[in-house]
Amino acid sequence: MSDAASKSAPAGGLRVAIYAPDLLRRTALSGVVAEAGHIVVGAQDAADVVLADGDCLPGETRPVVTLGGADYDLPGVLSRQASASQIDAAIRAVSAGLIVRVPDAMDAGFGVMRETDGPALLTPRELEVLATLAEGMTNKAIARRLNISLHTVKFHVESLFRKLGARTRTEAVAKASDRRRYETITL
Amino acid sequence: MTDQADFLAQFSNALATRTEAAKDAVVAIRLAHGRHITGMVWRSDIVVVSEQSLPRKDDFELVAAGGSVLTARIAGRDPSTNIAVLRLAESIASPPITVGEAHTGAVALAIGADGAGGVSARLGLVNLAGAEWHSSRGGLIDRRIVLDLRLARSEEGGPVFDAAGACLGMSTFGPRGQVIAIPTATIERIVPLLLKDGRIARGWLGVALQAVAVPDALRQTADQSSGLMVMSVVEDGPAAQAGIVAGDIILSVDGASTHRFRKIAGHFGSDSIGRKADLRLIRSGTVITVQTTIAERPAA
Repeated sequence: MSDAASKSAPAGGLRVAIYAPDLLRRTALSGVVAEAGHIVVGAQDAADVVLADGDCLPGETRPVVTLGGADYDLPGVLSRQASASQIDAAIRAVSAGLIVRVPDAMDAGFGVMRETDGPALLTPRELEVLATLAEGMTNKAIARRLNISLHTVKFHVESLFRKLGARTRTEAVAKASDRRRYETITL
Repeated sequence: MTDQADFLAQFSNALATRTEAAKDAVVAIRLAHGRHITGMVWRSDIVVVSEQSLPRKDDFELVAAGGSVLTARIAGRDPSTNIAVLRLAESIASPPITVGEAHTGAVALAIGADGAGGVSARLGLVNLAGAEWHSSRGGLIDRRIVLDLRLARSEEGGPVFDAAGACLGMSTFGPRGQVIAIPTATIERIVPLLLKDGRIARGWLGVALQAVAVPDALRQTADQSSGLMVMSVVEDGPAAQAGIVAGDIILSVDGASTHRFRKIAGHFGSDSIGRKADLRLIRSGTVITVQTTIAERPAA
């Protein structure tokens, strides 16, 4: 990989070529890149990094950050929903010769449909309580929001911890979002 | 030389011979940056590839045995079984494929394309040969075949042979880098459908669902302990048109309990499109039945 970082990029910013067939996405990504202090250059211009929305053009030799592309061997692999700070960090990292992966993507692969067993399934009420936990609400605030007693809130939170195998509120929220990600069925 | 050394030499020679014989069974599919993945020569003009690793485009450049470069066009892809099919612009030599049955503990030889017309080989065991399973994308895979061997990304999509030279399936990656095979039986089932329609049509209601426990107070009426809660409804989709809203808990589809999603997955095959389906569901504390018409799942 070329030592792109040492080339004449403006202080702090890099020259980024954006490849996005969709004009709206292109405009949005240009905004994200410029906001992060980089210079957006034309697709054919000298660039330190190429940011590709999906798959990039074949034969690309510059370091590429792909958003949702199928080529997992590119230096930078993010999802199509990557945040602005992830995109900025990935651009800087690949220009310095590093590779970038999202932990989730390491978990990609063709796998079995996951289903939680009966006793660990949450009830609709528990899902409501979980949503309030995700907002960082206290038990008192939850009781007010859901119009239930403080005692009932504590009961639901304990049940959530038990079913999710969590010891803290943060852990419960993380484990539940994991479940939701892997076990949501689209029909 | 002892008998044992003879045996090892024979074993080794047999593997080398098998690998050499498999050179017509694979092609390399060129990707960007000089990389490639492997494809399995299914017929003289048809190549089977791992869907998850094939870039979403129409035209591909392939390297066949001996190094000749060919062009191929996508003929169909099915994410639910991880099978994609490419149609070659010209015919090539294609060795006959015999269907092999995977047995736990049996030897497995995985072949990859090296990108220059040659092959690479991996030897291991069938780590686990199990029952049929449903993928996270809703497809039915005829058998669970987990392999105990390493595989490079460039080798994914090649054939996996048993000791008799029969084909167990196509190598691919499962979660956390696990190497699995899509059984030959599944490929045989899916390829004709992809060649005909370019995709596997599936039934669709336009909802995202999550399994939930039925609240205690409703278990008696619902007569089951779990169901699928509607998390979101696609605008103007079949479910939306039938008045289904987020928060509804679906208990059964045409009398089949949603207790296990796998059990109802079969109700949404290609033959379900256009059919009416009765959904029994819980809405605001009561059990009601809503009729919907199953539509075809739009392309992803």
